[in-house]
Amino acid sequence: MVEYASRAAARARARETVGVATFVRRLDWILIGSVGALVGYGLWAIADITRRDVTGDAHYYLTRQAVYASIGVLCLVAAVLIDPDVYRTRWRAIFGGTSFLILIVYLQGQAVRGSKRWLDLGFFKFQPSEFGKVLFVLALAGFLAERSRHLNELRTTLTAGGLALVPIFLVFLQPDFGSALVYCAAVGAVLLVAGTPWTHLGGLGAAAVAVAVLVLGVMPAAGVPVLKKYQEKRLTGFLNPDSDPGGTTYNITQSKNAIGAGELRGRGPDNATQTTLNFLPEHHTDFVFASLAEERGFFGAAFLLMLYLLVVWRGFRIVTLAREPFTAIVAGGLVVALLFQIFVNVGMTMGIAPITGIPLPFVSVGGSSMIANLIAVGLLLSLHVRARTARR
Amino acid sequence: MARRVISRRFLPPDPRAEEPYRLTPRLALRVGLLGMVAIAVFATLFLRLWSLQILNGEQLLRAAQNNQRREVRVPAPRGSILDRTGLPLVTNVPSTVVQIDQSSLPKTKTARLRELRKLARILHVPLREIGATLRRHRYDLLTPVTIKSGISRAQAGYLDERADDFRGVRVTDVSLRYYPHRELAAHVLGYVGDISQEQLDALAKDGYRPGDTIGQSGIESEYDKYLRGKPGLEILRVNSLGRKQGPTIPLVPPAAGNTVRLTLDLKLQIAAEEALRYGIERARNSGCQGCWYANGGAIVALDPRDGSIRAMASNPTYPPSLYVGRVRQRALDAAGLTPRSAESMNYPALNRAINAAYPPGSTWKPVTAIAAMQEHILQPFEPLACTGEYEKNGQVFKNWDPFVNEAMTLTTALARSCDTYFYQVGYRFYGMPARLGPRLQAWASRFGFGQKTGIDVGSERSGLLPTPAWRKETYTKKTDPGHWQIDRLWKPGDSIQLAIGQKDLLVTPLQLARFYAMVANGGKLVTPHLLLDVEQPSANRSAGRVLPTPRPPAPEPTNVDAQALNVVREGLFEATHSSLGTSAAIFSGFPIPISGKTGTAEKFIDPGDGYLHNFNQSWWCGYGPSDSPDLVLCVLIENGGHGGDAAAPAALKVFEQFFGKRATQRGAIHSD
Repeated sequence: MVEYASRAAARARARETVGVATFVRRLDWILIGSVGALVGYGLWAIADITRRDVTGDAHYYLTRQAVYASIGVLCLVAAVLIDPDVYRTRWRAIFGGTSFLILIVYLQGQAVRGSKRWLDLGFFKFQPSEFGKVLFVLALAGFLAERSRHLNELRTTLTAGGLALVPIFLVFLQPDFGSALVYCAAVGAVLLVAGTPWTHLGGLGAAAVAVAVLVLGVMPAAGVPVLKKYQEKRLTGFLNPDSDPGGTTYNITQSKNAIGAGELRGRGPDNATQTTLNFLPEHHTDFVFASLAEERGFFGAAFLLMLYLLVVWRGFRIVTLAREPFTAIVAGGLVVALLFQIFVNVGMTMGIAPITGIPLPFVSVGGSSMIANLIAVGLLLSLHVRARTARR
Repeated sequence: MARRVISRRFLPPDPRAEEPYRLTPRLALRVGLLGMVAIAVFATLFLRLWSLQILNGEQLLRAAQNNQRREVRVPAPRGSILDRTGLPLVTNVPSTVVQIDQSSLPKTKTARLRELRKLARILHVPLREIGATLRRHRYDLLTPVTIKSGISRAQAGYLDERADDFRGVRVTDVSLRYYPHRELAAHVLGYVGDISQEQLDALAKDGYRPGDTIGQSGIESEYDKYLRGKPGLEILRVNSLGRKQGPTIPLVPPAAGNTVRLTLDLKLQIAAEEALRYGIERARNSGCQGCWYANGGAIVALDPRDGSIRAMASNPTYPPSLYVGRVRQRALDAAGLTPRSAESMNYPALNRAINAAYPPGSTWKPVTAIAAMQEHILQPFEPLACTGEYEKNGQVFKNWDPFVNEAMTLTTALARSCDTYFYQVGYRFYGMPARLGPRLQAWASRFGFGQKTGIDVGSERSGLLPTPAWRKETYTKKTDPGHWQIDRLWKPGDSIQLAIGQKDLLVTPLQLARFYAMVANGGKLVTPHLLLDVEQPSANRSAGRVLPTPRPPAPEPTNVDAQALNVVREGLFEATHSSLGTSAAIFSGFPIPISGKTGTAEKFIDPGDGYLHNFNQSWWCGYGPSDSPDLVLCVLIENGGHGGDAAAPAALKVFEQFFGKRATQRGAIHSD
């Protein structure tokens, strides 16, 4: 442990408050390092991947992504500095505000490719559902921390479930099926880490399965389609990839070709024809992993996955370090949401997960996703610092 | 773990917390569970990545590479078609065409529309037509679509200068079919056009591909394999939208098509078509019954020694150039080349020499004569009564000349085309024992009637050679509910009328010409053909050479008695030379002796008033010089009246061209 050597000095310097140096020392530098590496690696990959996408401006996406990352880093620093207890006590406001934002998007947002996810702020297209991932975890964790003595009561679990349903339903209506799934995963993790009894968790799981069966199987059969046709096709398309190579599974086929073509060492940015000749659609957003794998090969892709693994590990470590339920719940929820996004996005490009419009954290071009994920990391760091301090 | 010092808490103590929160075994289990899930997730992702990139990498790399390579065919210049002396009948002409490369058009709909509208104005092509053409090719974005051919230099210059305003539009030189003699021999030569889906399905294994040009009829279609050449190949790199990336790499240069030389004689062909027009005009002016409706005809001229066709004309005709470049539906309509307008123009696309069947009338009499002599039911010098009428079983059959009343031998009967003479011969055929079968038809079949001649161009009709069996098959309760019991029987009248080439009998002009060639060459049945040879043009390294092609079958002996043939030949000579011969007035004044037979075949025609009229089809078939024939000719003028009125004078015109001599005098025509 780094701080062992200076423990005495630290004790001497600060009793109730923590000095800047101590604060900085107690940050999780492995987490910072791995996230920094992720963002840097992502920018480097984006620079090559999008070089030909906008004629006349090879750095179009790179500049934007760099600006987003800078804003994100500022937000991260802010998140680190704010005491998480602020969120814990104000979870109602967070919940209400976020729900309101998502509702506004649903009512006013611009439809892009049939889905209203963005609020146009003029300089920036703001996607509340990305920030919602972080904010709802905070709100739910606040609620559960408040009721940590009553976790065994069914009422607690049902209320938590009811609260969770609001954003899930709103996002589902946008429709942003991918984000709704991420929310579900986060809610599950939050409840699990909070200590909800297994029986309740089992009940919620069964309910979720029942809803899935209803939405995917029973209701369409009864003539009430809940999912749009394309959503259903995407969800089931990866199960039989050769069903329609020109249509729904075109993306998957091209994506798998791109990844496979990378082989061990990658084809390099100039020869990565799947990307440069545009066979791979959305290669700077949803399918960025496939492009990276094509250009940098197994080495490059595996390196990215290792960085993610590092981040996830550090996140779970915070859960174990937590000195109060709120810390553990927030850390658990954020890390599982991140893990879920990584799996669904990377799995989608490799044909083992359904196609949902989930971006690859820290790499896909997109301001909301980048900033929201960096805020989440800031929260984790902040929780880490407080947990470490509480340990003294 | 480190000691806990409660007082040093960073966060204020939670008043509700009875004991500090810590990692209980319960929580540890749950976090451990999540950690296991995470490990499982990453293990899955790593394994999948390994499987795709390392295990299947090579295969997927190939798939990715195949994504971007496109092979594009470069059309080969089509071979020319020459006449027997080497004069061009069909050649190519370089033409400046405007093509649209669909994948390079502006991306937005409005910009595309604006550009196409401007293009339509410059080229004088309706925008709707451009749109329709592009839609037809919407699944093949790499092959440029020709919008207009033969644009002016000014138009080409305008488009070149404003290339930036016309993205995806290119002006290139291509070679198009050129017909130096316009309509000449249009039916024989045929035309070329874009390959159709049906042709593609049938010919894909021969290397035909969508967008290819292929002969659609006539020689162009029949000998497409020689004419088309071998298209070259170029390699393109494309992106996912099918847009070209980088330069094209030539892989295989195109090989020009071979030259096809026909047996046609350009000058004789011109003469034949002129003669046909002359015959039709003459018939119209003759005032004979129904001749005002003379509106078509055919001439076949062939070499009786080997069956090579020297001229083949059909009227009405059409300019094949209508099918060159951008085909305009309206122009085809006006020329009678669409199903909608064909009838009103009397089917100009029909090659009447081979693809239309008519009753032969008296030109059939030599067939009857030869068959009767071969069957020994007729002695050539046996006089039979030629009267104005012939009555059998209460049915009266009339002679074309009601006033004749004398005994005739076969040669005279042929020369003067006595119907009643041949009625009697026909009845003799009827009286032959049934076990021998229909002998007249058997001989006719041996002479090639009722079957295709095997000519190497286009679709051919086999005509109809009626037999008792045919009647029985054709007239059944179902097809002929009122009279089938009667109609299915072969009656005396059938034999009697068959003897003069009437009633159900149908022949094509080419079949008849082939029979007269057999009479002319002493009994050998030739296979009519148009192909003389196929020549490979000299390329930069190889000299031109004649390619081996399947030879037409050698003339087949029919084993006809030479004496019987001689009698018929004499009859045909007298028909053109004795004082009462049916076409003597026309041919007796010609310095080269010509033999031949007129024919006037009755056919029921609806000239457009809704009623059927019995109109005469004017025939003349013969050959010259009489003793060693060089040319056999068959002329048919639809609704042309008597054979001597329209067909024979037309035939004379062709002979005049062929022998380079002119007829000197004419007498009165006395013809059936």
